Amino acid sequence: MRALVGAELLKLRTTRAWIGYVVALFLLSGIAAAALAGGAAAFEIDSPEYQRDLVSMSVFAGFIALLVGIALVTAEWRHGTITRTILVTPRRARVLVAKQIAGFLVGVVLAVLAVVVVLAVSIPVLWGEGGGFVLDAAMMGRIGWVVLAAALAGAFGVGVGALLKSQTFALVAVIVWTLVLEPLLRALLELVEREGAADFLPGQALGALDGSVEDALSPAAGGVVGFAYVVGFGVLGWLRLERSDIT
Amino acid sequence: MIEVEGLTKRFGSTLAVDDLSFSAAPGTVTGFLGPNGAGKTTTLRAILGLVRPTAGRTAVLGQPYRELERPSRQVGAVLETFDAHPGRSGRNHLRLLARAARFPAARVDEVLALVELTDAARRRAKGYSLGMRQRLGLAAALLGDPEVLVLDEPANGLDPQGIRWLRDLLRSFAREGRTVLISSHVLAEMAQTVDEVVIIHRGRLVRHATMAEVEAMAAGAARVRSPDAERLASLLADAGVDARVLADDLLAVSTTPERVGEIAAGHGVVLHELTAERATLEEVFLELTGGAGEQ
Repeated sequence: MRALVGAELLKLRTTRAWIGYVVALFLLSGIAAAALAGGAAAFEIDSPEYQRDLVSMSVFAGFIALLVGIALVTAEWRHGTITRTILVTPRRARVLVAKQIAGFLVGVVLAVLAVVVVLAVSIPVLWGEGGGFVLDAAMMGRIGWVVLAAALAGAFGVGVGALLKSQTFALVAVIVWTLVLEPLLRALLELVEREGAADFLPGQALGALDGSVEDALSPAAGGVVGFAYVVGFGVLGWLRLERSDIT
Repeated sequence: MIEVEGLTKRFGSTLAVDDLSFSAAPGTVTGFLGPNGAGKTTTLRAILGLVRPTAGRTAVLGQPYRELERPSRQVGAVLETFDAHPGRSGRNHLRLLARAARFPAARVDEVLALVELTDAARRRAKGYSLGMRQRLGLAAALLGDPEVLVLDEPANGLDPQGIRWLRDLLRSFAREGRTVLISSHVLAEMAQTVDEVVIIHRGRLVRHATMAEVEAMAAGAARVRSPDAERLASLLADAGVDARVLADDLLAVSTTPERVGEIAAGHGVVLHELTAERATLEEVFLELTGGAGEQ
């Protein structure tokens, strides 16, 4: 399994796509952090809540990790490399688990990068306003949850990619789900007074984990639900891959 | 050893392979022949665990491909579709295959040298010519120094030197007691490489024969001119030889000139001409497959 995960990470490093992912991550987290830090009122910059929100700007790492996870599978179909991958590892479940672990690790790396970018952008602003950055236990906790959320998003993307096979389709599905279907479902659940169930939708659960959604599950519960989605979509993706003829 | 037993594969309403059985023995190069669309690629992909059979089973070295312990060490395969990422260099492509299959990294440069691709190895694969792509595919297949080789139309895109090089490689593989299965839609292209041929058409087995038998099928024909053609034709028919009257004094017969000469002499029939006719291998192939493949 170690060898397979190593091969998956080598796949990512040996094409140029990773440059695009890292540039997108720097731009998204950098701009978001600059906007939040620059627009802050002087009285709030020292508050721990505000500073934790600042760190939550690194949640874009989760979005990029999701895209990388999806591409780990869909790019293989798109370029026909799936043939050689399955020839080398004919037990297809092993291929998917290796990709999920690779997606998880990529999520960790991206989130750490994002936190570094956010802090590099916002700490000078805080200093300029006469404030300081407080790296206390609560802040460390928030950073840890952000990293875990991005890691789970990367592994989750692998399942989504395996289930949908097409990069375009998967991308559209993620966007439509996040912007339309999940809010719609939440509204419907509220209508029938079951808003508690809405906390278990994937976007809400991962959001509870990285702090971008409030009044939902606790971060730990969000992590457990997120992990359940990783496993569930992994199984669905495996069923699709197992039944696919590679021609 | 490769075994195919009762293999059937249906894609929707298309029957690609229909109850096909054959085997490829160790120590031989087996040619897998059929017109385009005969089901060769589907059969090879089923053998390699890429396509799920609708019915029947396939085995390599006694096991289904999916259950092999070290598939890359046991079987090397080159399929017709290019399976390297266009944005990745040939060398990195092989590096990650070696990583996944737990081969030493040094093996990558060895196979690159073996297929004579070292100079282009650090360039991105999208710029590779058809021949270079074939060589990269072969390099991937040879990484694990496998017991069994499965090649789908490997001669496509290779220049004459490349084809000769490949032939020598496959012959030496077979001499070492390994199994080689190689598909083609051109029989003549394989004549000097293969020991046995498995010919399929419309997904069904047409003939499994040695190359020597196929050569004999091509050789056994003659043209005869005789003023007594009608009588000679019936004499030949009595001897169990297929003879067709082409003109008043001209016969086409499906046996050797020696045999025709003996029969004619035995009955005192005058001959004006007796010529050996050699069908090309392609004519034999077309006859066996009903001449009905897409060209």
